[in-house]
Amino acid sequence: MTDTVTDLSNVRASVENANGLPNAHYIDPVVFNEEKQALIFSQWAGLAVAADVPEPGDAVPMEFLGMPLLLLRDKDGDVRVFQNICRHRGMILVEEPRKIEGAIRCPYHSWCYSTKGDLVATPHVGGPGHNTHDAIKRNDLGLIEVRSHIWRDVVWINVSGDAPAFKDAMADVMQRWREFELPLYHGGHDSRFTLEVQTNWKLAVENYCESYHLPWVHPGLNSYSKLEDHYNIEKPGEYSGQGTMVYRQLTNENGETFADFADVGSKWNEQAEYIAVYPNVLLGTHRDHAFAIILEPKGPETTVEHIHLYYAVSNSDEGLRMRNTQLWKTVFEEDIFVVEGMQKGRHADQFDGGRFSPVMDSPTHCFHDWVASKVETHRAKARAAE
Amino acid sequence: MKDLDTRMISAHDAQDRIALIKLYAEAADRANALDASCFYLTHAYIFALEAGAPEAKALHARLKAEGREA
Repeated sequence: MTDTVTDLSNVRASVENANGLPNAHYIDPVVFNEEKQALIFSQWAGLAVAADVPEPGDAVPMEFLGMPLLLLRDKDGDVRVFQNICRHRGMILVEEPRKIEGAIRCPYHSWCYSTKGDLVATPHVGGPGHNTHDAIKRNDLGLIEVRSHIWRDVVWINVSGDAPAFKDAMADVMQRWREFELPLYHGGHDSRFTLEVQTNWKLAVENYCESYHLPWVHPGLNSYSKLEDHYNIEKPGEYSGQGTMVYRQLTNENGETFADFADVGSKWNEQAEYIAVYPNVLLGTHRDHAFAIILEPKGPETTVEHIHLYYAVSNSDEGLRMRNTQLWKTVFEEDIFVVEGMQKGRHADQFDGGRFSPVMDSPTHCFHDWVASKVETHRAKARAAE
Repeated sequence: MKDLDTRMISAHDAQDRIALIKLYAEAADRANALDASCFYLTHAYIFALEAGAPEAKALHARLKAEGREA
């Protein structure tokens, strides 16, 4: 059990009557750690994108909620995630992004691992010049692999190892966007950026999944994408977001547009959708481009947003790409004062979690309901274990 | 051997794995005792393994022949 037990009874009421999550869920380190287990490690969470390791042998060490991980593309081209530690003394194996030419050698005593995680050498483990010992079973001492799955180029991980299979857990959202099950091409260095925001990661989800704020925070969208052109997306327990019926393609000075994703159907001519896949991945799709935002919680009040843009073809126009990146960067930067302002607001100790517009805020309420259900389940398990 | 030690230290400083493979293999060939030879062979093998160098296969075979490697 945690020392801080919040009252979530009213969070799961209907949207007309519910309050939002209590302040502690945004500012209390104890609740942050509780949610780390309940909402992130136990689920399929976004870690990175496969484009971060484009070539076999590419290795990127990363820290995810305090856990040292190694994102690696093995010699056969499969993306894998390992705990970035040697099975001998727990030493960090890879300190900087680099290419693994052959084996991963621990810098401490030089135990070596293949890119598939197999322990392949244990020098001097039986004494000088003796590299085997009966007590050290190499087959039992491979790198600790974290369950992972690639979908829409996002590397999703289930740290606890006991979530349902990815394709079962994500069946509904995969079905919703089945027309877009097509190759995605990362736009490259001009199509990725990060924003460090002084907010709890959940506020970034909440702001992303509702359209209520668009005319106020993104007035530039009003000229072609009015509030009434949007609709809510809600799948309780899984995802929520918003869609638009008036997506307009970006053009350059010659009137050229990005190539479309092939055969997605006329439904998507002017429709686009923006979905927060719980817990921490924000996806957007359009007829001609897509994006993925991975929210990296750095602490209760700091989040890094990793933004990646994708296209239907590998040779999309660089000028258009740069224009599109700038367009989205402007939109996402316009959201920063909002999520940071709400974060500061969570230190007002009389705030009761707030009330929702039953019409406009239901995607946010859907997310809060999911958070509350997962936290309650986690607390019940902890109580049962006492 | 002193010259070899100096070259090894230089190769370590430069993190020149290809040189390290050669120098440790040379040290193994020069060693008078089996344990000492296998000690150096092990280092040559590990650096070859890390580098993905073709020498790894032969070095592994030598160690295995002496019962020092799986």
